[in-house]
Amino acid sequence: MSQDMLESDELLTILIWSAITIAFYVFSKVLYRRWSYWWLSPLVVAPVVVIAIILSVGADYREYLQGTRWLLVLLGPTMVAFAVPVFERRELIRRHWAALSLGVALGSVTALATAWGLAVLLGLSDVLRTSMLPRSMSMPFAMEVSSDIGGFPEITAIFVVLTGVLGAALGQIMLHWLPLRSALARGALLGIGAHAAGVVKAHEIGSEEGSVAGLVMILVGMINVIGGGVFALGLL
Amino acid sequence: MMMRNNPVTLAHYLLRQSRLAQAGVLIGFWLVGEAIARTIDLGIPGGVVGFLIMLGLLMTRLVSLQSVKRGADWFVSEMLLFFLPAVVALVDHGEFVSLMGLKVLLVIVAGTLSVMVVSALTVDLCYRWSASHEPRHAGE
Repeated sequence: MSQDMLESDELLTILIWSAITIAFYVFSKVLYRRWSYWWLSPLVVAPVVVIAIILSVGADYREYLQGTRWLLVLLGPTMVAFAVPVFERRELIRRHWAALSLGVALGSVTALATAWGLAVLLGLSDVLRTSMLPRSMSMPFAMEVSSDIGGFPEITAIFVVLTGVLGAALGQIMLHWLPLRSALARGALLGIGAHAAGVVKAHEIGSEEGSVAGLVMILVGMINVIGGGVFALGLL
Repeated sequence: MMMRNNPVTLAHYLLRQSRLAQAGVLIGFWLVGEAIARTIDLGIPGGVVGFLIMLGLLMTRLVSLQSVKRGADWFVSEMLLFFLPAVVALVDHGEFVSLMGLKVLLVIVAGTLSVMVVSALTVDLCYRWSASHEPRHAGE
């Protein structure tokens, strides 16, 4: 009897928190489609509203996560789904594999080196520094790498979102400043620098830019996850 | 090959039409990837193993693009929803509203600018180099 109560309680937690999360996600997407200000992005509005609700009803993150963990699990099949955009861009890879792989490799090294170096320079703690390393990767990869190298994936998630939101805005400014001649380089700037948010911005600039950005974002993630896995195995 | 020669079966037709069925197929491949990654302890997540399997099947035409595209597009375009629960963890980290949070912002802004400059200039220089060398190799 009490076992049944417990289970229906868990089900209720899942139903309520999932419904709240999905509802505000959809709502903020509609808002953003109408007014495209960065602060109306679903990346900003939905978490802020959900956090406000959690605080106002006196719930805590553990309970919330228990109710919505299944959404995080779907990041796994999302990685499998990335095979489709990569396959669709096979012609782009064939023509520009050298430029793209060099850009992805140097961009990734720069991301890791600046996160490490600046964190040391500013005296951030070890945990923050480690969690900061994967911040330029898109979310499924970043959280994976973070746990591989001993960071806190949920702190990494916050840094990843900040990188995306700030990066999309910074990227637009950088595109005016840098003398880039190719759509390839403009797409790489946004896709490597600002992952998913950069890809959205790149699609606003042009379809080739968007296509390149989507591809390099996945390549950055793949290279780093495989690298992070090797690193984790080396430690064991 | 067999599928192309035979009339499209009902199951195949439904798969091409249904985003949900395609999403199910992708979840299936992810589970296979997880099983493989855990069995041989590759050090890479099941999602990446599933990605490699799916890419291989698409390249060899064993799986047609139409039978997974709608599902895959759905997963990729709604990715934001899937990681929202991780971002909400901010509720437990009030410590970021401080000088430390400001330093974090500084690292992210400076780091992101460097990444953008390095990757965009690298790609652009490579592109210009290959564009200027292309005519000579065109005849090969």
